[in-house]
Amino acid sequence: MSGSAPVISASGLVKTFGKTRALDGLDLEVAQGEVHGYLGPNGAGKSTTMRVLLGMLRPDEGRVRMLGGDPWADAVALHARLAYVPGDVELWPNLTGGEAIDLLARLRGHFDRARRDELCERFQLDPTKKARTYSKGNRQKVALISALASDVELLLLDEPTAGLDPLMEVVFQQAIREAKEAGRTVLLSSHILAQVEVLADRISIVRQGTVVETGSLRDLRHMTRTTVIADLGRPADGLGRLAGVHELTTDEDGQVRFQVDGDHVDEVVRALAPLGVRALVAHPPTLEQLLMRHYGDAVEPRDEPVEVAR
Amino acid sequence: MSATVATTVPRRSRHAHGRSATLAGTGTLVRFMLRRDRIKLPAWVGGMGLYVVYIGAALPVLAPTEEDLAAVTPMLEQPVGRMFTGPAYGMDSPTYETFFAGGYAPYLFLIAALMSIMLVTRHLRVEEQTGRAELVRANVTGRHAPLTAALVVALITNAVAAVVVSVLAMAYGFGAEGSWLVGVGTGTTGLAFAGVAAVTVQLAEHSRSAAGMAGAVLAGAYVLRALGDMAAVGGSALSWVSPLGWPAQTAPYVLDRWWPLLLHLALAVAGAVAAYALQARRDLGAGLLSARPGAPYARPALGTPLGLAARLQRGAVIGWGVGILAIGAVDGAFTDVMADSVESMPAAVQEMFGMEALVNGYLAFLAVFTGYLTAAYVVFAVQGLRSEEGSGRAEAVLATSTSRTAWVGSHLLVIAAGAALISVVTGLGTGLAVATVMDDWALLGEVLWAHLNLLPAVLVVLGLCAVLFGWAPPLLAPVGWAVVGLMIFVGNFGELLDLPDWIASLSPLSHPAQIPAEEFAAGPLVVLAALAVVGVALGLLGFRRREVQAR
Repeated sequence: MSGSAPVISASGLVKTFGKTRALDGLDLEVAQGEVHGYLGPNGAGKSTTMRVLLGMLRPDEGRVRMLGGDPWADAVALHARLAYVPGDVELWPNLTGGEAIDLLARLRGHFDRARRDELCERFQLDPTKKARTYSKGNRQKVALISALASDVELLLLDEPTAGLDPLMEVVFQQAIREAKEAGRTVLLSSHILAQVEVLADRISIVRQGTVVETGSLRDLRHMTRTTVIADLGRPADGLGRLAGVHELTTDEDGQVRFQVDGDHVDEVVRALAPLGVRALVAHPPTLEQLLMRHYGDAVEPRDEPVEVAR
Repeated sequence: MSATVATTVPRRSRHAHGRSATLAGTGTLVRFMLRRDRIKLPAWVGGMGLYVVYIGAALPVLAPTEEDLAAVTPMLEQPVGRMFTGPAYGMDSPTYETFFAGGYAPYLFLIAALMSIMLVTRHLRVEEQTGRAELVRANVTGRHAPLTAALVVALITNAVAAVVVSVLAMAYGFGAEGSWLVGVGTGTTGLAFAGVAAVTVQLAEHSRSAAGMAGAVLAGAYVLRALGDMAAVGGSALSWVSPLGWPAQTAPYVLDRWWPLLLHLALAVAGAVAAYALQARRDLGAGLLSARPGAPYARPALGTPLGLAARLQRGAVIGWGVGILAIGAVDGAFTDVMADSVESMPAAVQEMFGMEALVNGYLAFLAVFTGYLTAAYVVFAVQGLRSEEGSGRAEAVLATSTSRTAWVGSHLLVIAAGAALISVVTGLGTGLAVATVMDDWALLGEVLWAHLNLLPAVLVVLGLCAVLFGWAPPLLAPVGWAVVGLMIFVGNFGELLDLPDWIASLSPLSHPAQIPAEEFAAGPLVVLAALAVVGVALGLLGFRRREVQAR
């Protein structure tokens, strides 16, 4: 992480709607220049966080700073430095897509006309069509193109690719990499794990209005178990007794399958070596597994307390 | 051949159920549509029923004796009256029932037509546009099932409306055959326009265009009927061209002839046949008229909050403005008819008021009438802000460096300018009409001035709407429309019903001088303008303080 002040820094955010606690003591820190994945299931509080950051909602409790200002009080000044893409883009039905792109970009301030045209090309958007004829994916493209063509420091993207097809998803990923190279900070909320895995430098996992984990993918992986599948020449009786090895199973063909805690991988690999390894597959935890630990019903009891990174 | 085996089942079913296959699921869809409309359709039909109940009860109150009725009959019998109502059958010797059929039933026909257009569009084009139709059609549902179901629902609804209207009219002792004619005429008008809408939903890809096309047919029918009936008592050839003319030509309680309604049924059937034919030729979700491409880039003016507000409000200003101007100009053009009718009034009345005072009073009322309608435009336009906010489009704009004050302020400014434009244009148009028929060009200035004089009062409504939007958005529609209703009530019936002053003073339009009947007074205008400004300022303050509402 760079030494400069964080672009977004929120602590203890609480926001209630009636009896629902949409945000429940949420902490979030996004550093300058990083792509920060903001991951959680539907209803976890991702969009509410975005709307607090935009100054549309005022948190009941907690402190939030963005780009050095207060999102509620300094909304207008801050908005000149950011672009926002909502998860469910609604456009003015009688404006064309091109008009909507230009309108939003101009209202933000500076925007690059050439880049806008190039993005229309890359996202294969016909800007002459009225917005009422656009599909959800096309409306999403309009908001994305407008945001990406704007000269801003921060991109707030709330599930920006929910309606895009896989080809467009690739275009989107490339565009985000370019934004990062240009020094922009990106807060990317998503429940599409693969997207975040590919793009994000750091990830915050939110559940029920609270960020339950924050860190780089590596940090988070360290906290969970690597899955190992091995074809062994000799019986693997000793493996199960090693510290950090879980759920060891052996099938008739002699294939062994187990999980190993991140900090015990070294010993386990040493123990495997003399057993006549014919084939070995070890894969890091997928984000699904990371999330399952927090949201899944099939979660094993944790032996250590949850570390909530700040 | 393997084909013999493979085709046995499909061929038999295609053979046996060739027609019904495209209609599979119609019954279920009918029940589904009725279920979805379980509030809307009873509300429409109930509204028609209440209208009949109200008119039936009000007539004996307004005109307790036959002489009273005969005295107000010229209202319907004169060309301007015929224009707004119908061919004026039986108005030479009016009774409650002929007065009901001649003066009030035409609105039932209009309501039935609107109801049917919206019903058909809602169940067919909106469903296709949103993709819900695809979800339905992916099940065991035939190509023509949704269209058939929508037409069946339109048939059921209009049949119920026909019975409700007829029975309620008979409940007031109106003749049975005439009452059935009014009721059935209402129903067949609805059916005819259901047929029209069934065609327009095939043509346009979007529900608004589809409803707009059907609405244009209705508007055209109205204009043809108005011109046709204006030409002569009993209507002229033009009246017979218009589907809205046919139910009036049944002349309920006078001639009681049924056959003009056959024209409605023919139109309904022709519309349905055309709709089936068109539907068989197009893809689901597609229209036969494709949407025109628009501008690939936004013009520079669109890049500002004010430019956006102007663009979004443009349609409402034009639509309302043209309508209000048309009404004002037509009313203005009948100033001479009004003046002539004064001459036929008892000498005592003429002496009491004087001819000029009566004409001036009429002109002042025309301005007040424009005032109501402009206030209604204002309430309608401010509600656009609510839909911008509710849809999330406001959020998209407010997430740019557009301040909340700039966003709301631009819209309010555009609406205020729209109200001013409507006042000026309607004042000019009405004044021109008045000056022409009265052959007195001084009246042009007076009428324009009378319209401008009421603008501050209309802007008070804008101020009120701004306060509601800023502080209590859910109250915007109910309170806003209630205020417009109060203005109309006070303006039309204030003196007639001898309302207490405090109720009358609740209407902003009660305060300015009644130009040209009264002398201009600056005082009330200053107070009204100040109230409007305070209201807008408070509204802006409120919106800055509150949260932007999510979907």
